[in-house]
Amino acid sequence: MIELYHVWKQYQKPHWALSDVSLEIRSGDFCFITGPSGSGKTTLLKIIFRELFPTEGQILIDGVNILKIPDHKIYKLRRTMGIVFQDFRLLFHQNVFQNVAIPLQILGLAYKEIRRRVFNALRQVNLHHKMWELPQRLSYGEQQRVAIARAIVNNPKILLADEPTGNLDPELAFEIMAIFKEINKQGATVIIGSHDRELIRHFGDKIFFLQKGKIIGQEEK
Amino acid sequence: MIFRQLGYLLKTAGSNLWSFRGRNLISVLIIGFSFLVIGIFLALSNNLTYLGEQLSNNLAISFFLDKNLRAEELETIKSQILASELVEQVTYVSADDALKRFRTNFPELQDILDNLKSNPFPPSFEVKLKDKILSLSAIVYFMENIKRLKGVIDFQFNQDWVEKMESLSRIVRAVGFFLGGILILASFFIISNVVRLNVFARKNEIEILRLVGATNTFIRIPFLIEGFVLGLLGSLISFLILFILIKIFPIYVGSSLGAARELFSLRPLNLNQLLWLVVGGIVTGTLGSVTSVSRFLRV
Repeated sequence: MIELYHVWKQYQKPHWALSDVSLEIRSGDFCFITGPSGSGKTTLLKIIFRELFPTEGQILIDGVNILKIPDHKIYKLRRTMGIVFQDFRLLFHQNVFQNVAIPLQILGLAYKEIRRRVFNALRQVNLHHKMWELPQRLSYGEQQRVAIARAIVNNPKILLADEPTGNLDPELAFEIMAIFKEINKQGATVIIGSHDRELIRHFGDKIFFLQKGKIIGQEEK
Repeated sequence: MIFRQLGYLLKTAGSNLWSFRGRNLISVLIIGFSFLVIGIFLALSNNLTYLGEQLSNNLAISFFLDKNLRAEELETIKSQILASELVEQVTYVSADDALKRFRTNFPELQDILDNLKSNPFPPSFEVKLKDKILSLSAIVYFMENIKRLKGVIDFQFNQDWVEKMESLSRIVRAVGFFLGGILILASFFIISNVVRLNVFARKNEIEILRLVGATNTFIRIPFLIEGFVLGLLGSLISFLILFILIKIFPIYVGSSLGAARELFSLRPLNLNQLLWLVVGGIVTGTLGSVTSVSRFLRV
């Protein structure tokens, strides 16, 4: 369970990127955070995986206050998460296989197992035929799918995705959402930041509406 | 599991070294040139030390003796001289030998000697001092002690010259430490900045690894290995260039230096110095790399 209590975030005075955000996401939820550009979706997601610290407020994940986890132990939290970054964050000097394998290499899994899981993840995003390519040779949409494969390769408990279908055609976007839904069915909590109304309407079980850093509404199917 | 991770980290370090070969080559060259400057300085100072030793090898003291000493008295004096730790060798030069030597060395002064009724030269003990002794106070103490012995009239020793040698050697050493210190500090800053730039260029990679759940150690190890290799390669390159310089220096530069040639030759580094340079290279590369990485581990 993810709980946010009165979270505020300020990058620069006097503007607040998030103001007094409180929300609760239960284990196994499939939820969207939506709102116009600059509404604070990315900031909110970054705070949940603790790339950013809030200016004020508390965040609990499974009862643990993640703001109190020391820096050198934060890897334990991140290993339970799969994150699809808005800017993909791929290593451009490593090929697709190596990029997707990173979370598994970190865990020290056997090469055979890594190869199996990476292949499966890439097959899910329909990119297994480009396993040995370097990311710069791929299109924007393909790079995005590599980022998605890396996020799901480790069967995460929580999957966070920031505009994961922003550069994909509608058909592929639906396929990716179906993958997320599948992972969700297996027990993972999925949180997606998106402004794609069509997708949200089709897939969203729980939707948080953000505007100017404030939660202005919440919808649950 | 640990071995698998280690294998992966080694492979990553190797692939990073190759992927960023241009940037790494620059780091290696900068480390190499910094250590080359230190190496050249060491080679020059080795030569000065060598010259000093050569000169001190030729240090000799003459103790002039009473003409009427008996054989056993001579023996006593000789054994007293030999008892000193400073002495390498003692040679007795009789009055006749001294006269003969003078005649050989200064043939143009034969007439003066012919006009003398007796041999003006006293017998003497010529004392050769051991190598690597440049402590003037110890020599002076020794000479004063011998002079007090019965039958020793006087001694001859070019004290001024030794004093000059000693002060020159002190200056060389002081300048050496000063310049060497500055050079080492400067190279350390240059190298650590180059490594820092190198790490900065890969700041994204560090962040990504942190965000997908890598531990700090996991992130640091490839950088540590890369820093180690860059430092090692840098110092090896400095040896190679230094070796070539030592070989070609006398051929191309030595002859134009004329009389100063002896003073400004390069003498190869000894094993200890080489070892220190390698350790220096490795430590600078590794430390520079690891400390730079730490700055980006706060994600």
